Amino acid sequence: MSKKNSVFDGLLGDNTVLSSLMVISPVIMCGDTLRNAIAVIYAFSAITFLSVLAGSFVPKKLPYAVRIIIYTLISSLVYIPVKFAARQFFPEVIDRIGIYFMLLAVNSLIMVQTEAKFYRMKRGRMIFSLIFYILGFDAVMLITSFLRELIAHGTIYDRVADADMLISGFGMPFGGFIFLGLFCGLYRKIRSVLRRENSGGDSDASDN
Amino acid sequence: MQKKIKSERFIWLDIMLTLLTLEIMQFFYYGIRAAVLSCVCAAVSLVTEIICVRLMKRQFTADDLTCISDALIISLMLPAVIDFKIAAIACVFAVTAAKNVFGGRKNMIFSPAAAAYIFILTSWRGQLIMYTEPHVHTGILEKAGTLVSSASHAFNTSGKMNFTDFEILMGNVTGSLSMLLLVVSAVILFFRNDISKGAFIGTISGTVLLACLVPMCTDIYDSIKYTLSTNMILFAAIYIISDKRTAPKHNYYAFFYGFFIAVLSYILVLTTTKENMIVIVSLLFTPVALGFRNLEKHIEILKSEEKKEAAAVE
Repeated sequence: MSKKNSVFDGLLGDNTVLSSLMVISPVIMCGDTLRNAIAVIYAFSAITFLSVLAGSFVPKKLPYAVRIIIYTLISSLVYIPVKFAARQFFPEVIDRIGIYFMLLAVNSLIMVQTEAKFYRMKRGRMIFSLIFYILGFDAVMLITSFLRELIAHGTIYDRVADADMLISGFGMPFGGFIFLGLFCGLYRKIRSVLRRENSGGDSDASDN
Repeated sequence: MQKKIKSERFIWLDIMLTLLTLEIMQFFYYGIRAAVLSCVCAAVSLVTEIICVRLMKRQFTADDLTCISDALIISLMLPAVIDFKIAAIACVFAVTAAKNVFGGRKNMIFSPAAAAYIFILTSWRGQLIMYTEPHVHTGILEKAGTLVSSASHAFNTSGKMNFTDFEILMGNVTGSLSMLLLVVSAVILFFRNDISKGAFIGTISGTVLLACLVPMCTDIYDSIKYTLSTNMILFAAIYIISDKRTAPKHNYYAFFYGFFIAVLSYILVLTTTKENMIVIVSLLFTPVALGFRNLEKHIEILKSEEKKEAAAVE
């Protein structure tokens, strides 16, 4: 059971953004519209997946500091074609995202979680786990940008929605912080309730 | 301990009394809508506070009624004709995001009213800075006819005020409260030790100093008079910056806290001509207030350690 859970952990149980508060800057700064969010999701998913996968072939015998530098170089190399493709797919959005697009190349999933988590797994299992971690980020990005766009601009993917009242503050970075904070609180509450229930169920089963 | 609780409640009562007098004046100038706006703010804040307190698994006590004074401060900062929904959302924001998220009334880091004001400023700026003229009474569900900019806006952009001293004193000025009542409130709260004296003096002296050094009008006396009566300077000095819950405890530190807020807000008003910058700056100075409070704690700890050591030596 635990083995199965650990593969899917990245999506819900140990979400990159909501649980570990990693890679929050793109969510806050760029997650104000769905159009921006999709561009960030594309870039984050492509850069992270390819970089972590390529980085897994780096020999473990090398010193830690050297390995991290190599990971950075790999992700920087991956960033180049991803950026070129992004210019084709999302020409207007890329300029609006600005520096946060570049910062995705050194996101904490590549810099921190690789050594702490992914490279301690077998490669097949690592790929599955990585996909779910990326999906976890993508889900948070999509949900927050959808809600923020609706509340702040009254649109859904640039199409006008029938929103009665707009709170444009939620489209700003401070609104993003507040929104993400409340989202994190809600997520942690639900997670703790579920864990308590699960542990209660387990103890009941063991008692029986 | 009981003395402290009592004093906290008396402070709240004093502040409420002064705020209610200001509310009565608003009712006189803007009609029933101003009173309903205050009631909406108070009711929404109270309900939100009760929900938050329950969610935090605490009991709602009389001390939690401080949310009502914050609600009245918010309502006094808003035009009477603002949409009730906006005021309600702002109050929910003030109670949840600006207060209870940080642990409630005992762990406040900034004024909930100031945070709510800035929240509205970023989301509904158009509605926040347009007022009806005094004595133009709008019905509860009516839409306002002619809206005008505040007197602060006119003063910031032109350096002139088209109001007599009597009108300024009585609050017969667009988007301003009665200076007379504010001064009386300040005196009462100051001498009853309900506000941070250091922060209040610091704010006023910072504003007066800048109004003398870099006057906004040709006449220095007019510059001081109009600077204090516009841009919510006096109101913010009493109810936001000098709030004992957020200002540094010692008057010495509180003075500089208020002084720098006043200086920065004056410079911003002078350079950007934006209204009510003091509210924004007071929120930006939250880290400074927290820093001063930490410093005070460290000093207290060091003093108590020194005393203990001295006692041990004896």
